[in-house]
Amino acid sequence: MVIPSSTNVGNPSPVGDFPARDQRAISNCQSVAVGDLLPPTERRTDQQRPAAYNPASMAIIEIENLTKTYRVYQKREGLKAAIAGLFHREHREVYAVRGINLQVEQGEFVAFLGPNGAGKTTTLKLLSGVIYPTSGSARVMGFVPWERDNEYRRRFALVMGQKNQLWWDLPAQESFRLHQQIYRIPPTEFTRRLDELSDLLQVRPLLGRPVRELSLGERMKMELIAALLHSPEVLFLDEPTIGLDVVAQHNIQQFLKFYQQERRITILLTSHYMKDVAALCKRVVVITDGRIHFDGSLDQIIDSFSGNRIVRLQLAEGQTADGLSMLAEVESVELPRVTLRCARSDVTRVLARILERYQIVDISIEDPPLEEIIAKLFQDAPAGRNDVAEVEVGR
Amino acid sequence: MDDKNASQHPNYVQVFLTFARNSLVRDMMFRTNFIIEAISSLSWALMNVGFYWIVFEHTPSIGADTGWGKYEFFIFMATTWIINSIVQAFFMPNSEEFSEMIRTGGLDFVLLKPIDTQFLVSLRKVHWSSLSNFLLGMGLLVLSINELQDRPTAPWKLTPSIVGLYAVYCACGVAILYSLMTCLASTSVWLGRNQTLYDFWFYITNFSRYPMEIYRRGWGIVLWVVFTFIVPVLLVVNVPARILAQPLADNTSWRWPLAMFTIFAAIISVLISRWVFQRSLLAYRSASS
Amino acid sequence: MIAWTVRTLPQRASTWWTIYRIALEERMAYRGDFALGTLMRFLPIVTQIFLWWAIFDAAAAATGKSHLAGYSFHDMVAYYLLSMLGRAFSSMPGLASTVARQIREGEIKKYLVQPIDMIGFMLLARMAHKSAYYAIACGPFALVFYLCGDYFPAWPTVEVGLAFLLSLVFAFLLGFFLDLCIGLIGFWFLEVSSLLFIYMLLNFFLSGHMFPLDLLPVGWRGAVDYLPFRYLAYFPAAIYLGKVPSSQLWQELGVEALWLVGMIFIARYLYARGVRRYSGYGG
Repeated sequence: MVIPSSTNVGNPSPVGDFPARDQRAISNCQSVAVGDLLPPTERRTDQQRPAAYNPASMAIIEIENLTKTYRVYQKREGLKAAIAGLFHREHREVYAVRGINLQVEQGEFVAFLGPNGAGKTTTLKLLSGVIYPTSGSARVMGFVPWERDNEYRRRFALVMGQKNQLWWDLPAQESFRLHQQIYRIPPTEFTRRLDELSDLLQVRPLLGRPVRELSLGERMKMELIAALLHSPEVLFLDEPTIGLDVVAQHNIQQFLKFYQQERRITILLTSHYMKDVAALCKRVVVITDGRIHFDGSLDQIIDSFSGNRIVRLQLAEGQTADGLSMLAEVESVELPRVTLRCARSDVTRVLARILERYQIVDISIEDPPLEEIIAKLFQDAPAGRNDVAEVEVGR
Repeated sequence: MDDKNASQHPNYVQVFLTFARNSLVRDMMFRTNFIIEAISSLSWALMNVGFYWIVFEHTPSIGADTGWGKYEFFIFMATTWIINSIVQAFFMPNSEEFSEMIRTGGLDFVLLKPIDTQFLVSLRKVHWSSLSNFLLGMGLLVLSINELQDRPTAPWKLTPSIVGLYAVYCACGVAILYSLMTCLASTSVWLGRNQTLYDFWFYITNFSRYPMEIYRRGWGIVLWVVFTFIVPVLLVVNVPARILAQPLADNTSWRWPLAMFTIFAAIISVLISRWVFQRSLLAYRSASS
Repeated sequence: MIAWTVRTLPQRASTWWTIYRIALEERMAYRGDFALGTLMRFLPIVTQIFLWWAIFDAAAAATGKSHLAGYSFHDMVAYYLLSMLGRAFSSMPGLASTVARQIREGEIKKYLVQPIDMIGFMLLARMAHKSAYYAIACGPFALVFYLCGDYFPAWPTVEVGLAFLLSLVFAFLLGFFLDLCIGLIGFWFLEVSSLLFIYMLLNFFLSGHMFPLDLLPVGWRGAVDYLPFRYLAYFPAAIYLGKVPSSQLWQELGVEALWLVGMIFIARYLYARGVRRYSGYGG
C-alpha cells in the first residue's frame, strides 16, 4: 500500500498530465490580481538554496523515524480516586506520530493529507520545534528543530489557521513592528517587505485597523504577512484556509502559489480542502494513524486509488437512459444528462457501445472527485486511529 | 537598530519597549476601563490604610517592642504596594496568560520566535493601570518619611546608601515574587486548569504583607522558617521595608545576615524558576485547535 | 386564582426541584477543587491571628488593657472565624456579574420566553450552589473550628444559637437580593463591573469581614448601623459572641427581616421595570 517516497522526489510529473481540476485552477488565477503576477516559467535552480546546510548531501527537510507518543492519564471518577491519583496515576501511551520518514527538497510545495488526528499537525509542530519528539530525528536546513536555535527560528515560519498570533485589540501593523524587533529585520527591508506583501494580499488599507475588526479572511492574510515578513526559507502551513469563504480561500491559494513560485521557498501544508491541495501541491503525503500511507503526486493517487472514471453524457432529444445501466453503473439521470461510472479499463469498450446505441450530443470523461478518492484512501487506514484522535482533541 | 549589526540576538530592551508601547496603545483604546481599574486598585489600597488607621487608634505598634509604629508600618505597607504593583504591572498578566497559552496551545507562536522564550512569555504585556498603586505607595512613603523625620526615640535617618539599598532589595523582592509566580504558572503544563493555583499564589503572598516579627512566636516559628528559607516570601517586603523604616534603633544581630541571605534567595529563586520553566516547555503538548 | 395556584403547585414544585438538582450536580462536578480551595481560604486567618496577637500584645504593653473595643484576643480570632462562616452564607460570587451579562447579551430572553421566573430560578440555582458548597466545605470548616476550639467562648444558649442560625439564613437571603439588585442595574447601565467592584469593596469593609465593626470610631459606627451590609458578616458573629444583648436580639433580627423584605421588593420592582424597558427596546 505504501509507495516509497524516493521514487517521486525531485521528479515532478510532466505538466501535460495535470488532472482537469488543476487546469481549471490555473486558468482561474489569470482573473485574479495575484495571478497576473505569476512568473511565466518556473525558475528552479539549485544555486538558490540557503548556505547553512550542504545542499549536495542533504534535503532541506530530513525526517527519520520520527515518533511522538503522549502519556494519557486515566482519570477516574470521584474524590477518592482523585486523591489516589495524586500519588499514583495510571497512564497509557498514545501514538500521535509513529516512525515517519520523509525527505523534502528545497523549493517543494508538499501537502499533508489525512483524517483528523492522523498526526499531520503533530508533524508540523515537531518540525517547528514547538514539541519534542519521543524518538527519531529531524533536520530542517541542517538544524534540529526542537533545539530552537535562534538562527533556525529566524529562517522558518508556522501559520496556523485556527490560532492567531496578532494582538487582538491592536492594528496588525503594531504586531508587525514587534516582529521587526524580534526578528531584527532592518527598517528599510521591513518597509519594503510589508509594502510588497500588503499589496499582494490587497490589505494595505486594513493595516491600521484593530485585528478584532477584521474578517476571518483578512485576519488570515495578516497572519500570513506576519509569518513572511522575515523572509522565511521554509514555511509550515496548518489549515491556512480553514473556515474561510470560497473567495478568501481562492485569494490565499493564489497568493501562496505565486509567492512560492517566485521565492522558491519550501512549503509544507496541511489542509482539508482538496482545492488547496490540487491548486498548490504537486506532491502529496498521506498520513493516517501516524504513519505515511502514500507519498507521490496527486495523479498517482488518482491512478492508484481510483480504478474508476466518470462518464458524463448529454443525450440527444427524445433519447432515454433505458438500458444504460447494463453498460455501466448509473450515478444520476437528469435528462438529457446522464452520469455513469465505470472501471478505467472498461472506458473504451463502454464508450464504443454507447456511441453505437445512443444518439449523443456531448460526452466527457473525468476522474472521480478528489475528495472521494482521498476519503477512500483514509478508510483503508488500519484501526487504532481513534486513540490518536482523542489526543488531538483532548487538552 | 544598526542594519549591519544583525547579531544572533534581538535587542531585548527595544523589544520590551515595543511591548510596553503596544500595551499602552491598547490601554488607551479602552480608556474608561483603564481608569476604572486604576481607581479600583487605589480604593482597595486606601481601604487598607483605613483599616490600619483604625488599628493604630487602638494600639501604638504592631507587636510589643518591635518598633512597628504607625508610620513605620505605613512604610512597610507602601513597600508592599510598590513591590506588588511592579509584579502586577509587568508579570502578573503574562503569567496568567502563560497558563492560558499552555491550555489552548497558544504557546506555539511564542516558541517559534527567535528570542528567549521566558523573556517573551514574562514580559509580553504591561498592565499599566497597576502602576497606580506604585504612585500611591510612593506618596505614602514620602508622607511617612516626613512624619518619621522627628521620631523622638531612636532618630530616623535617610542617606543615599539607604535609598540605594532600598531599591536593590525591592528589586530582590520583585525577583522572588516573579520566580514564585513563574513556577506556579509553569505547573499548568502538568496540572491543567489551575484556578486553585492562583488562589494559592494569593494566600502565600498574603504572608508577606506583615512584619515577620509577628510570626516569631509559638508555632508561628514554623511559618517563619518555611516562608523565609523555603518559599522566601517573607523576605520580599520585610527586608527593604526594614532598611527604610528602621523600626528598631539597635540593629538586631540578624539584620545583615538576613540581608545577605535575601540577595542569595533572589538569585536562587530566579534560577529555579528558569529551570522549572524550561522543564515545563519540555512537557508542553501544544493542544490542537 | 388561588385554586389554580394550588392545582399547579405539585407540578411547579417538581420543576423547582429539577432546577435545583441540575444546578447541584453541576456544582458537585468540581468538588475536589472545592475542598482544597475552601481549606486554603482559611490561610489568611492564620496571618490574621498572628497580626492580632501582635496588636493585642502591643496594646497590653502600652496601656495594660487586655481588651480592644470589648474584644479579647480570643474573641477576635473567634470573630474572624465566625465572620467567615457568615460570608460563606452571604457572599454570592459571580451573581451580579452573571445577571448583568445575561442582560447585556440578551440571554435574559429565555426567562421571558420560558415559563420560569428569573429571580426564583436564580435563587434556586444559588441555593443548589451553596448546598454543594456546604456539603464539601463543612469538612474544612469543621477541621479549622476544631483546631481553633480554644478561641471560642462557651457554647451559646439555645436562644442565641437559634438566633445565630436564623441570622445565617437571613444573611444568605439578604446577600442574594443585594447582589441581584446590583446585577439588575444592568438593565439601565451596560457596564456594571465598576459599580460591582465598588459594591464589593464597601461590602468587604462595612460588612465586618475586614474587622469587627465595634472597632470603628463612634460616629462611623452609628452610620454603619443604618446600612444592611453589617448583617452579612458582622451580625451573625456578634450574636454568637454575645455582643448583641439578648433584649435586643429579636428586635435586631426583626430589623434585618425588614431589610430583607425591602430588598425583595426592590429586586422585584427593578426586574419588572427592567423587563418592560428591555421589551420596549426590542432586545
